[in-house]
Amino acid sequence: MHRSKTLFLLLSIMILLVGGGAFAQDDGLKLTGWPYEVDVVTENLGRFTDQSGHDAVFLPFPSNEYHDKMVASFVAGTEFDVAYVRDSYLAEWASAGWILPITGLPGADELLADLPAGIIEQMSYDGEVYGLPYYSGVQTMAYNAAHLEAAGIEAPPETWSEMLEQAQMIKEAGVVEYPILMQLRSGENYLLREWETLTASRGGKLFDDDFNPLFHLEGSAAWQALDWLTEGLDAGVIDPASLTDDDGTLLMAAGTTSFMTTTDYTLKAMNDPEQSNAAGSIKNALIPGANEVRSGTWGYVRLYAITNNAEDKDAAWQLVQFLGGKDATGVYFVPKRWALEFGLGFSPAPLYEDEEVRNSISGWIDPDLLSEQSEYAISRPYRFVPFFSDWEIGSWGPLQAAILGDADKGEVLNDLAEEWNELKEDWGY
Amino acid sequence: MKARARLRLIVIYLGAAIVLAGTVGPFLWLVSSSFQYERQLLNRPPQWLPNPIVLDSYREIFEGAVLGEASGVPYQSRIFLRSFANSFFVAGSVAAIAVLVGAYAAYPLARLTFRGRSVLLFGILASRLIPALSLAIPIVLVAKRIGMSDKIVTLVFINLSFILPYVIWLLQSYFKTIPIELEDAGRIDGCSRLQVVHKIILPLSLPGLTSAGILAFLLTWGEFLFALLLSETPASYTSTVVVSLFATDVDVSFVSIITAGVVSVIPPIGFALIFQRFIISGLLSGSLKG
Amino acid sequence: MQFQRPNTRKEPSQGMLAILFSAPAVLIIAATILAPFCIAVFLSLHNWNLKRPGRERFVGLENYIDWLTDSDFWEPLRTTFTFAILAVVVIVLLSLLISLLLNEKFPGRGILRALLLVPWAIPSVVNALLWKWLLNPQYGLVNAVLFELGIITEYQNVLGSMPSVMIWLVIAYSWIHIPLATLLLLSGLQTIPGDIYESAIVDGANIWGRFRYITLPLLRPMLSIVIIFEMIFALKVFDIIFVLTAGGPADATNVLGWQIYTETFRKLDFGAGSSIAMLLGAITLALAILFYAILDRGAER
Repeated sequence: MHRSKTLFLLLSIMILLVGGGAFAQDDGLKLTGWPYEVDVVTENLGRFTDQSGHDAVFLPFPSNEYHDKMVASFVAGTEFDVAYVRDSYLAEWASAGWILPITGLPGADELLADLPAGIIEQMSYDGEVYGLPYYSGVQTMAYNAAHLEAAGIEAPPETWSEMLEQAQMIKEAGVVEYPILMQLRSGENYLLREWETLTASRGGKLFDDDFNPLFHLEGSAAWQALDWLTEGLDAGVIDPASLTDDDGTLLMAAGTTSFMTTTDYTLKAMNDPEQSNAAGSIKNALIPGANEVRSGTWGYVRLYAITNNAEDKDAAWQLVQFLGGKDATGVYFVPKRWALEFGLGFSPAPLYEDEEVRNSISGWIDPDLLSEQSEYAISRPYRFVPFFSDWEIGSWGPLQAAILGDADKGEVLNDLAEEWNELKEDWGY
Repeated sequence: MKARARLRLIVIYLGAAIVLAGTVGPFLWLVSSSFQYERQLLNRPPQWLPNPIVLDSYREIFEGAVLGEASGVPYQSRIFLRSFANSFFVAGSVAAIAVLVGAYAAYPLARLTFRGRSVLLFGILASRLIPALSLAIPIVLVAKRIGMSDKIVTLVFINLSFILPYVIWLLQSYFKTIPIELEDAGRIDGCSRLQVVHKIILPLSLPGLTSAGILAFLLTWGEFLFALLLSETPASYTSTVVVSLFATDVDVSFVSIITAGVVSVIPPIGFALIFQRFIISGLLSGSLKG
Repeated sequence: MQFQRPNTRKEPSQGMLAILFSAPAVLIIAATILAPFCIAVFLSLHNWNLKRPGRERFVGLENYIDWLTDSDFWEPLRTTFTFAILAVVVIVLLSLLISLLLNEKFPGRGILRALLLVPWAIPSVVNALLWKWLLNPQYGLVNAVLFELGIITEYQNVLGSMPSVMIWLVIAYSWIHIPLATLLLLSGLQTIPGDIYESAIVDGANIWGRFRYITLPLLRPMLSIVIIFEMIFALKVFDIIFVLTAGGPADATNVLGWQIYTETFRKLDFGAGSSIAMLLGAITLALAILFYAILDRGAER
């Protein structure tokens, strides 16, 4: 008895000691997002407060669970006025009514006029624009120049079949075992994005602009893309880890992968001597093409959007304008800062001309090649229908089976097309 | 006999070594990695021992906690150790309340005959059969409606209700092992049921109560889903939420995550070390003789 | 307090006592879970997709029927069972061995017992990272160790195909769960009085005999609890799948927990997500009752 009393006493003391941690509540604007450079965001918000008189605070959540956290938050009636949004969640959050369109708000047209059409499309759902860009960019190709050199290869591949040949040479030269990494993992949007890249660079698309499937047609670019994957896997030049790995950046940094398609900003980490064993060797090239097609890619946008629960919508719009557009002095202060100091991709046209910005990113990526790459970006309106994610989730298993040769490609693709058509009809598109 | 005893010890230590290698081995890799540069984690073959020993991530966590913004270290590192206060509060309260409340609830299940005993037993467990994921959004919804979101007290309640079923099941099973004769003797001496529980059942169940407490503390300390979904401000982040904050979408600070993980292990293991001395045998045999 | 007058007051009935004793716990659980549980049941009976606001409607058992007639339920259910059976067997056997070892008296036992809890004390996100790193096909430690020992001649992608992906999921999952099971079994072993063993030794029983005829029967109540707990945990497995395989490759590790997650959080189809969760809950309850009947009935002495 004595012992258990001690036990409870100890616990109660401990609880009393730490129990009193109450924090003051903030009445200003609440911004949420993933926790990239929290202090910089907070600093920027300080500038916003100085200029606008509105208090604003940044309350970030873990990046990997951000989507799920926000779903719960929106369902319960969110606390936040402005939230970061990934374009892949846009259709979902907009169709649920969780974020508000900015079309027609004062000053919106002027800011949108500075943005490329492709970026605006990636921020739109059902004809309305839902925010301003935080950072944006395109999928590009990263390769390890040292590996190519060691295998006696002079230039990165211009076509996909050339990539397989070069990979074979690298493998035979004993440089690495599996030169090519493709992100074909189940979960999130790895597999579909890779498939889109491979399809776009063969001059095709998964769906036409009326949302009809194209991928299941005999000989389609999408079909060829899957065949290419199977070929590479069978030849042992595409890493089997492609089907499971969730961070190819690390494999490039480990120096065990020679080629991968990747989001532009990841090259920075790959070339950072603190994080990467291959720092200095990683270069960007145009994503290969096929036949007469030169290259192909797609863009991504992370945007700021106003939530449906924002109490002061005018103030929230001011904040979005400050973060994604111009500050009170009429310059793109925040986007420029991200580009200049952190190398994040930007969208407003005036920044493309900015010498300072160009110089700062050239340390880890070739800006000219990158801007050429973005010219090959396809538009993907089908991604901005609300049932896309439903279809995507169901596609992982069958597509992996088809790539691995465990299932017949034609059958899988036809089934997937049928599923899409059913969803499409059900949703009245 | 002496040779036998030595052989016994040898066998035991051999077994202990295997167990240790299996359980703590992977953890040692975490410890080793926390003292390395990020790129060294990608070496092939792996870098088993840190060379040089890099203390940056530890320095950031401790400096950040002490100096706050003046330390100049990233936000995540600054708030990490501070979030321990919330974790302690939640895990400590849950452990104490779960053992206390659970013991009373377990007693009738172990000892009394009443109608609906099985219904109660399985009814208590039933709340744990639905995956937390599908209760998560309803719970967040209700918490928000009644003004209980972003409060760590809410986390205490939620963790309690998730852990109580396990504690009750555990303790009722434990109580059953206490010889009924002891209780009968107490009843003849004039003890009420409550006194029986206080004077006979609880003292004799110290190992079971302690195990239940350690179980509750550890499960709560590591709880992530609700800690994330119910928090809105850093004031209510627990340590598990802050550990996840090192992944930022653009980059991931792996060494910081690993270091935070290594440091996170210290409180629950310390808790177990302090309390497990109550997991001792011989309580029963002693009382039978007495 | 030692010398008390015989208690002459009339005591409440046993049923009343049971209510009084269990009231605080039941109230805490009910206050927290009851409303959310009812909401989940309510949702499971509705067509309720958050992406289609304004189209919610009551559909009765339709969601349930849809699942029960869909291979998207039965396939993951089979995978879940495969995983759960393997995991429970591995966890129970190993933790039984470890707890028997830790029940012996030897110097350093206390430290070892505490260290044993380490895998369980590591935050889940770090645990996830740990296993991702251990199993990586290029810089992974498991590969490096097996390679150095000469067991494999080239690095393997263990998560890339069946059955190795299932085996490693079970290993990673068991590693995290063995401490809990061991802790419980250890506290169960403490209830076995030492003098029983002493008299058994006098009677000439060997180690196996003592285990078979003393330890096992007396440990049975706690053993059944551990089996039931671990079964409940394993049937709901999600975390480790989420991190290591996301249901892949080619749906080989698509368990019901993952299915519930994608329906609820990714498709925002709360009707489908809740109803499949209810089905899993019902299956788990049935199994728990069955196990309890088999294991605990036999244990009532």
